[in-house]
Amino acid sequence: MGKFLLLAFRNVFRNRRRTLMTLFMVGGGVAGLLLAGGYFAFMTRGLRESTINNGLGHLQIFTADHFRRDEVRVLDTGIENWQKVAATVTSAQHVRGVAPRIDFYGMVSNGTKAAGFMGSAVDPVAEKSLGFISRVVSGRELDTKPGGEVEALVGIGLAKSMNVKVGDGLTILAMTSDGALNGVDVQVVGIVNSGIAELDARYVRITLTAAQRLLQSDRVTNLVVGLDSTDNTDLAFNELTPRLQGLPQQMELKKWIDLATYYKQVSNMFNGIFLFMGIIVFFMVLMSSVNTLLMSMMERTREIGTMLAMGTPRLWVVALFMVEATLLGVMGAAAGVAAGNLFGTLLNSAGLHMPPPPGYTEAILFKVLHVPSIMIVSSMLVIFSLAFASIVPAIRASRLQIAEALAHV
Amino acid sequence: MDEIVKVESVTRRFPLNHDKTRNLVSALNDANLRVEAGEFLAIAGPSGSGKTTLLNLIGCIDQPTSGRILVDGVDTSKLSPARMSTLRREKIGFVFQTFNLIPVFTAAENVEYPLLIKGMGSHERRERVADALESVGLSARAGHRPDLLSGGERQRVAVARAIVHHPALVLADEPTANLDTHNATQLIDLMHGLNRRLGLTFIFSTHDARLLEHTDRIVRLCDGHIQSDSLNEGGIRGQVLASSLS
Repeated sequence: MGKFLLLAFRNVFRNRRRTLMTLFMVGGGVAGLLLAGGYFAFMTRGLRESTINNGLGHLQIFTADHFRRDEVRVLDTGIENWQKVAATVTSAQHVRGVAPRIDFYGMVSNGTKAAGFMGSAVDPVAEKSLGFISRVVSGRELDTKPGGEVEALVGIGLAKSMNVKVGDGLTILAMTSDGALNGVDVQVVGIVNSGIAELDARYVRITLTAAQRLLQSDRVTNLVVGLDSTDNTDLAFNELTPRLQGLPQQMELKKWIDLATYYKQVSNMFNGIFLFMGIIVFFMVLMSSVNTLLMSMMERTREIGTMLAMGTPRLWVVALFMVEATLLGVMGAAAGVAAGNLFGTLLNSAGLHMPPPPGYTEAILFKVLHVPSIMIVSSMLVIFSLAFASIVPAIRASRLQIAEALAHV
Repeated sequence: MDEIVKVESVTRRFPLNHDKTRNLVSALNDANLRVEAGEFLAIAGPSGSGKTTLLNLIGCIDQPTSGRILVDGVDTSKLSPARMSTLRREKIGFVFQTFNLIPVFTAAENVEYPLLIKGMGSHERRERVADALESVGLSARAGHRPDLLSGGERQRVAVARAIVHHPALVLADEPTANLDTHNATQLIDLMHGLNRRLGLTFIFSTHDARLLEHTDRIVRLCDGHIQSDSLNEGGIRGQVLASSLS
């Protein structure tokens, strides 16, 4: 076996220039995939963290009823005695904190004009402690100190349509949990831009206390759980699930990935592009390798004839060609991984920036992540491609007529 | 003596074009030959006379159009390709005109190759390779690759490779064609010595008159027909055989 591998290894370097060209091509394919995949990974990771830090959190707790039926009355599928639930969760490993939220709907008026809104009520202290940040484009965040006037953040689209600016007043109206209509005057302290125009045209954020007073309920829609690291999501999920079992209300725990629709769409798009690039590299390596390996087979016709004449099993000849191609793939992949990581490091140290995407004003840092799974997948792809490419030459070599092969010039 | 090769009414025809049923050319016609174990036999004849065809048929790397060939008592016409491969691996050693060594292997590794495909253990392989290289006088060149060896040395490596697995029969197709007179004579002496010392059966083809002087028995081929099959009284063993027959 050792000698067989040695023969294959030495055969790979028989024609050094051709081997070098093949390694260059295979390595280039792997390096390209690594750079593209590393950049996509950086973009995806950035989107993931910004999605979580913009308020989605790592985990969210709802009542099971929240997903089973529509609310008949405001917050009738909400979490009651949410402080107890929060306490149950807070003591778990990796949990940094819990933020209660209320989602509500109603009308907003500036005295002359009214419009529908989608409201979100938060506890500013809890939000701040978890690092959840609103993208305030003017004004400030909600005050963490209770008392005084009811403060509100409004979406940039809503502010424009209501013709309000920071410091102006609005009235918001909503149905209470008893089915009555209630209203509260709020002062706009900040204008936010989420980047999603549809949301910004209807978005209002007030404090949890103000919302509970408006809705006449002490329930909350959900609890957002922040963890020390996104990587611990599964661990925390597994630990919290049993803890939520014995509560008076049946609870349902959701991971961030289950709630991050936009993130999943973007991630799927990047995966699709990467898959497409992988297919191109696969066929590129396949086509050029078939030619190279066929040339190698033709050059060694007499040698293969000699091996077969001496009684070498034909399967050995097939295996020899396939092992040679696989070795070539392994070396090409290793060279590609080294080159890809080197180029990635150089690009990262250059501090390059990409133009801002639509809806954003700041340029995005260009960074390539060194992702082991991408290295493994890219390497396996080219190794498999070369092994696959060797099947035809290997079978042709093994089927040579010995007498003809020995007479080959 | 035991009969090692028996060629019975063997004919081999080749198609001249892709149509395998028409335009057949006969490379060998109704050939009959018996070779006893331990013989040192030359198949002589001009180019195109059918020497290589006959050797290929005896060596089980080609199949006769008609007739049958027995190697060490085994009817090769009834063997599957895999069994033929096994027969070659176990019982036959080959020496080729152009040496046909594996260029990326050293001399020792080339000699070791037939043992590798037989699945022999490494310890025994090492011993056999050392013996074979010593018997051809190339122990000192064991670690050299073929491109660093002279033509004569390469062919001696090829001989060592052909005998290392102790075959019943060694077939050599024009082994001296690419060698100068000095190396050719040395090679023939070497093969003859191995024939006498180890009792190996050698069948080789040649059209080199210099070599025929060293052989015991000469089978002459012309246009695919065996024209003569005679003992060479000038040959060393032939003299013994001739005197015993007279």
